[in-house]
Amino acid sequence: MPASNLLTQLLPELILLVGACGLLFLGATRLAASRSFLPFAGVLVLVAALVVTIRRGEPDGSFAAMGLWISSLTHYVRWVALSVGILILLVNWYLPVQEERGEFVALILLSLLGVLLTASANDWLVLFFAIELVSIPTYILIALSRLDQRAAEASVKYFFLGALSAAILAFGLSFLYGASGTTQIQHIAGGVISLTLPSTGELGSIAMIGFLFVLAGLAFKVAAVPFHVYAPDVYEGAAAPITGMLGFVPKLAGFVALIKLFAAIGWNLPIEIKWLVWILAAVTMTAGNVIALLQDNVKRMLAYSSIAHTGYMLVALLIGPVAGEGPMHDGVAALLFYIAVYGAMNLGAFAMIASFGRKHGELETLDDMNGIASQAPAVALALAICVFSLMGFPPTAGFIGKLYILTAAFSFSADHAFAQPLLVLAIVAVVNTVISAGYYLRIVAAAYVGKSSTPANPTGGFTLRWGLAVCSLAMLVLFVWPRGLAGQASRATAAIHDSVSAAHTVVRVDTDFGNAQVDRTSP
Amino acid sequence: MSIDALNTLKLSGLVVLLAPLLGAILAGALGPKVLRSRSHWPAILGVGAALAASINIFMTIYGAPAGEASARIPIYDWILSGAGSSFRVEFLIDPLTSLMLLTVTGISLLVVIYSRDYMREHDKPERGYERFFAFLALFVFAMVALVLGGNFLLLYLGWEAVGLCSYLLIGFYYSKPAAAAAAKKAFLVNRVGDFGFGLGILLIYLSFGTLEYGAVFEMVQNGVLASGEPLAQGRITAIALLLLCGACGKSAQLPLHVWLPDAMEGPSPVSALIHAATMVTAGVYMIARCGAIFTASTTAMTVVAIIGALTALFAATIALVQMDMKRILAYSTISQLGYMFLGIGVYAADSAVFHLFTHAFFKALLFLGAGSVMHAMGGIIDVRYFGGLRKLLPWTFLTFLVGSLALSGFPGLAGFFSKDEIIHHALSSHWILGGVGLLTALLTAFYTFRMVFLAFFGRERVPEGVHAHESGKWMLAPLLLLSVGAIGVGYLGVGAKPFHEFLAPVFEHTFVANNPAIWHGHASDHAGFWEHYGLMIVSGGLAIFGIIGAYFLYARELWIPGLVKATVPRTYKALLGKYFVDEAYDATIVTPARQVGRFCVGIDNWFIDGLIWFVAAVPRAIAYGLRLMHAGGMQGYGVSMVAGIAIIVVLLFWM
Repeated sequence: MPASNLLTQLLPELILLVGACGLLFLGATRLAASRSFLPFAGVLVLVAALVVTIRRGEPDGSFAAMGLWISSLTHYVRWVALSVGILILLVNWYLPVQEERGEFVALILLSLLGVLLTASANDWLVLFFAIELVSIPTYILIALSRLDQRAAEASVKYFFLGALSAAILAFGLSFLYGASGTTQIQHIAGGVISLTLPSTGELGSIAMIGFLFVLAGLAFKVAAVPFHVYAPDVYEGAAAPITGMLGFVPKLAGFVALIKLFAAIGWNLPIEIKWLVWILAAVTMTAGNVIALLQDNVKRMLAYSSIAHTGYMLVALLIGPVAGEGPMHDGVAALLFYIAVYGAMNLGAFAMIASFGRKHGELETLDDMNGIASQAPAVALALAICVFSLMGFPPTAGFIGKLYILTAAFSFSADHAFAQPLLVLAIVAVVNTVISAGYYLRIVAAAYVGKSSTPANPTGGFTLRWGLAVCSLAMLVLFVWPRGLAGQASRATAAIHDSVSAAHTVVRVDTDFGNAQVDRTSP
Repeated sequence: MSIDALNTLKLSGLVVLLAPLLGAILAGALGPKVLRSRSHWPAILGVGAALAASINIFMTIYGAPAGEASARIPIYDWILSGAGSSFRVEFLIDPLTSLMLLTVTGISLLVVIYSRDYMREHDKPERGYERFFAFLALFVFAMVALVLGGNFLLLYLGWEAVGLCSYLLIGFYYSKPAAAAAAKKAFLVNRVGDFGFGLGILLIYLSFGTLEYGAVFEMVQNGVLASGEPLAQGRITAIALLLLCGACGKSAQLPLHVWLPDAMEGPSPVSALIHAATMVTAGVYMIARCGAIFTASTTAMTVVAIIGALTALFAATIALVQMDMKRILAYSTISQLGYMFLGIGVYAADSAVFHLFTHAFFKALLFLGAGSVMHAMGGIIDVRYFGGLRKLLPWTFLTFLVGSLALSGFPGLAGFFSKDEIIHHALSSHWILGGVGLLTALLTAFYTFRMVFLAFFGRERVPEGVHAHESGKWMLAPLLLLSVGAIGVGYLGVGAKPFHEFLAPVFEHTFVANNPAIWHGHASDHAGFWEHYGLMIVSGGLAIFGIIGAYFLYARELWIPGLVKATVPRTYKALLGKYFVDEAYDATIVTPARQVGRFCVGIDNWFIDGLIWFVAAVPRAIAYGLRLMHAGGMQGYGVSMVAGIAIIVVLLFWM
């Protein structure tokens, strides 16, 4: 593979890397004195990477080298992460103190670079590093986000627990290596799956342990119960704009990695794993929604809401690409659609919190939100749109996202072995949606109905408002015209569909001839 | 239809749909800060553009060659459902659509113009001025979407959206408890109907695998399901009755009529537009559109006809004794909608749509006239508090008189022709249905002119402290235009019947082809003078008789109503109390529901909250316990994570 080809294929990633390094340097120069220069430069870097990604078009999947595989999934994740990344920068524009602005923007770019690399990783080691590249900048970002003891505490907590989860992840990956003899995730040529036993097409027990630990490590990244415990503390501690990022970027990386993990065995999940994910999904969304009901602190409430959304997405992950194509049958396409929508609506909700302050600093409790609507009708409307979208209420994109996940759950034929449990899970998800209305509506009610004697101070500047406006507009537009994103999401699963059909081929070969040859050569 | 014509239709359809939406957004976004007292302009311009485009659509359809007057225009695929199929955003444009669009946008434009003055006091805009126009334009958008949509999904969306706008506008004066309660009631009663409507659409989807009108109707007419199995009679009847359930809610038919009289708490222009001319006719439009489904089930058609006839009579009797002008008009609207249902039920869909069309003019006129009276009387609309206004409000009186004559079915005015047609078809279906129609016609003339005589004749008196004044030109111009319509549009259904001719292709395979009256040779094309004109003479005579009766009772011998009241006090009370339907619902549904609600609140407060507290307390307790061990939250978190893995591993490998 010639190096120039590698460079052109990885151009968006390289732009991010060079841009991040450049911003680190610029942050130390006199240019940093300008309030807007560094975030603006950061947005330019992201736009450049996005333009390159989109101009390049969908990769044909032929490039695979150095533990990387540029597939249609990579393409989708690239442009979703970069687009939401631009919004994240808009929302975080004025957040850090003057001297740290260079580092701050550079760290956001590095974290996004990690997401992009996760999406192209085809080697467990690359995947591991990519995921850590996502996480490590976020630890620092939390600490930089505000001069508050709680931020420092959150940062340290997140760091230690993140380190623990990284250890768990690495531990699991070592088992996977031990079971398969290769660190490669998916053999591209021939589509042979590396983790399954050649005799049965299923996971062996060593691989099973590895699978479990990797699952646990990634469950931390996506904040699934019982690995969610850090989320409320961390979200509460960090400043609201950066929380909007924390809720999305690690989650996107985690889910992409989970998709890769499941695709590595061709979604041929052992029944125990199916039930495990089933329970994980049900408990995650229920616990998230129910505990959110009890919160008076808006950020903690949204933290639990983000946990609940992890639950919905786990449902989609469990459905997988088995039942057919298109987001109404293919769980992965539904998941990819949902997470993009989620990124924007979640960011919008946090951006709204960031756009006002009270005497004691940020908006904290529901009471602090009282009377926002009479003070700033436009901001309150944007908040209402984002919150209704989180609830899954038409006419917002959140509705379409939930619709896709639920219909995908119903798309298995009745004789499929796991059709019944999936149906039950879908019902659990619907019940949870209803429960979630209980606290989402409180947010809207506080903004619109609540009365406050003292006005809240507008903060954050116009870029924050624009970011919020784009988030909420996107929710409406994606409801009216979901087809573009849904089409992209379903095309992004093409590579996964290949691996699934490959897995089924392996099994069929086994049953037909009993002694399939499995390609075990590492690249 | 040529490509050019299709492109014209697509473009015009998009303008009809999006111009009011844009108007609503602009009025809402710029109203509070920028436009202020000019907030009506976005709405007027948006609806005006929609009217222009509707006229364009009408001309295109009118000029289309015979047999090609219907076009299905896909706009884009909305929700991908995989494997190439998807729910589409698409228009179905045919003569019915184009007429509905003309009616909706035309009346809307006049009402929006009227509201410019109505929503002001002493030329200062009322509070919420921009909100009013934003909602009004939004309503037009929703109503147009309902009419234009080419499948049941869009129909449903439009259906719910007009309901939402109706809720928002009834409750426009939300700080007034009666208005807030009326809005809630309208919304909740409509939920009952819409629940059935939603089930009907689901059943359609389950049966036919698609929601597109053409495909569904074709399968119904061929009598097959999507799976190729024959379509059972019971299933199609169920679908039709479920859809009818929605129509009864939206069009305020028995037994779901209770919300409409209360909805008069909204501003008068809203009553005129939404609760008289357009939204409440959505049910009639829907049944006409789904003719294939309804005519496939004689049971459903009979039910439609009976509900229509009963509602017409029932509401007309209540209107006899009400004192609030807007309420009288509301019951009159319910009664006239009953006529439309009756017309459809006896397979005369074209006559029903014709009545819908003429009714839109004269009823909007009457409501706007009542609004003008209310404006002059300082917000009072009860005829006990004023009278003899014909000198004070000459223009309002004149136009109101025209509207009343049209509503009464006075020969030569719009209501006469359209109502007469329905009664004619009802008579040829069953004499009871026709008889009820005739009786209702008499009552209609009577109660309408009772209101006219009470309000405009007799001794001149106005409520204390009110300086009565004729309304401004923004209000009078729509009244005059509507009066011209109320006089003139009836002639579209006379002689060569251009209106019916235009609509004929829509109904020829449904209502016309399945009409049992025509099968049995009852069609009266070659009848003599009496068959042709006898009914006209009878119904015209009844109208005049009713008007004279009202004159006698309420302008000359004012003691008679008192005597009647005293002789049959029970009947009077029942009518005044609207047959106590509200009270019956209150006792049988609302109160028990409240009890259940209270019970549920109890459960919620004690059991569910306790459960939630427990769910939350367990991890907290565990964390606390762990914290005792480790003296610090973080270690506790770490331990709980590792414990989580440990439990999973143990469960998987040793269980």
